[in-house]
Amino acid sequence: MEFRYQIIFQNYPLLIEGFWITVQVTLIALTLGVTLGALICAMRLTGSRTLDRLAASYIVFFRATPEMVLIFWGYFCVPLIFQMKVSGLWTGSITLGLVTAAYLAEIFRAGIKAVPVGEVEAAIALGLKAFPKWRFVILPQALRLMIPPLVNYFTELLKNTTLLSGIGVAELALQAYLLGGQTFRYVEFLSAIALIYFAIIFPLSLLSRQLEHREARR
Amino acid sequence: MDWTVITSFDFAVIWRYLPALFKGLWTNIVLTGLGFVAGGIILGTLLAIANLSRFALIRWPSFIFVEFWRATPLLVQAIWMHFAFPVLSGLQTTPFQSALLALVFNVSAYCSEIIRAGILGVPKGQFEAARSLGLPATVMWLKIVLPQAVKIVIPPLIGTIISIFKATAILSVLAINDVMRAAQRISSYTIKPIEIYTTAAVLAFTVGLIITVAGAKLEDRFRRSEA
Repeated sequence: MEFRYQIIFQNYPLLIEGFWITVQVTLIALTLGVTLGALICAMRLTGSRTLDRLAASYIVFFRATPEMVLIFWGYFCVPLIFQMKVSGLWTGSITLGLVTAAYLAEIFRAGIKAVPVGEVEAAIALGLKAFPKWRFVILPQALRLMIPPLVNYFTELLKNTTLLSGIGVAELALQAYLLGGQTFRYVEFLSAIALIYFAIIFPLSLLSRQLEHREARR
Repeated sequence: MDWTVITSFDFAVIWRYLPALFKGLWTNIVLTGLGFVAGGIILGTLLAIANLSRFALIRWPSFIFVEFWRATPLLVQAIWMHFAFPVLSGLQTTPFQSALLALVFNVSAYCSEIIRAGILGVPKGQFEAARSLGLPATVMWLKIVLPQAVKIVIPPLIGTIISIFKATAILSVLAINDVMRAAQRISSYTIKPIEIYTTAAVLAFTVGLIITVAGAKLEDRFRRSEA
């Protein structure tokens, strides 16, 4: 068959629209994921057993259940249970945000735990209060360790935004699929978006690996 | 909040359609097993070996294959396999075949990285000793390198099973009768979305939890036996 790449350029406004929705979903999920993830991580570090158990159960639940199942449940059941109209974009993005929180909480915790005990003890011995201890001793070191897994998880989130096409959110993947169906040019559209995802995710994945490498050599 | 939703919860409908949901769930479990064995273990090992080859003509294609399947979403891969691949190759595939193919390639790419790290973890002296003894390449790989690499890669490979199970639910975008597709069909037929989707979610979570807990126990045992 001939590869008619012009058809992609003829329909680019719809693809850009889809890409913009993908960006929105990513941003909503990321904002919720970072905030809630930090909260859940804090719950695990307070030393209270109840809070720790609660946070650990949240993490296990959202890491063991398929995202697709959660997205469908959120889309079909939340509006009925809470008697409100919510778009697929919002229920889907919030579901992805809840999943992201579970993964980020573990990344945050691993980063904080990796800071040598001696550093924390030194801070306490110097009489640093909680704020300067976290602000100047623990967090700068922990954040550096967190960056590679965070970049890596960001690529996972970006891939997971495509799941929203299952509930009819016209993000990049669904837009390309629909265009392919209308024009009978699946090869062009689906290959084009595969390349777009690759062009965004591959450099990030390389960056994450390189940072990790540098961290390991320190 | 609408409390009647909870008080009017229809257990009869769940009971009636539970076998159909179980059947769907079984498809997910079969896909997980096939994806892990065919993709993760068999193709993953071949790709890992190819990726470490001395010959650029073998190394580069396998590198590109792995990176491409790792850096694109499974959902896009699945619809590409079902709608674009048959046009290019002239092969007609059923939705199940396309879904399985996409899953196997996706999993193989992830696992080949784990296996490659395992092979690199085998001391260099082992390769050198095998070569200096004049062992043929197949004997060196099958009798010397891979048995030692297996010990290193088993724990992280077990960790991928839960990701594979979660990924199988994505394949419902193609018309395969997995638990999500079954839930969609039953829910639009019975107009009882809350009952059906909640049951499907509980079933999927239960399997996910079993895989997580059993996997963690197994991983632990392998790590300890290694030490």
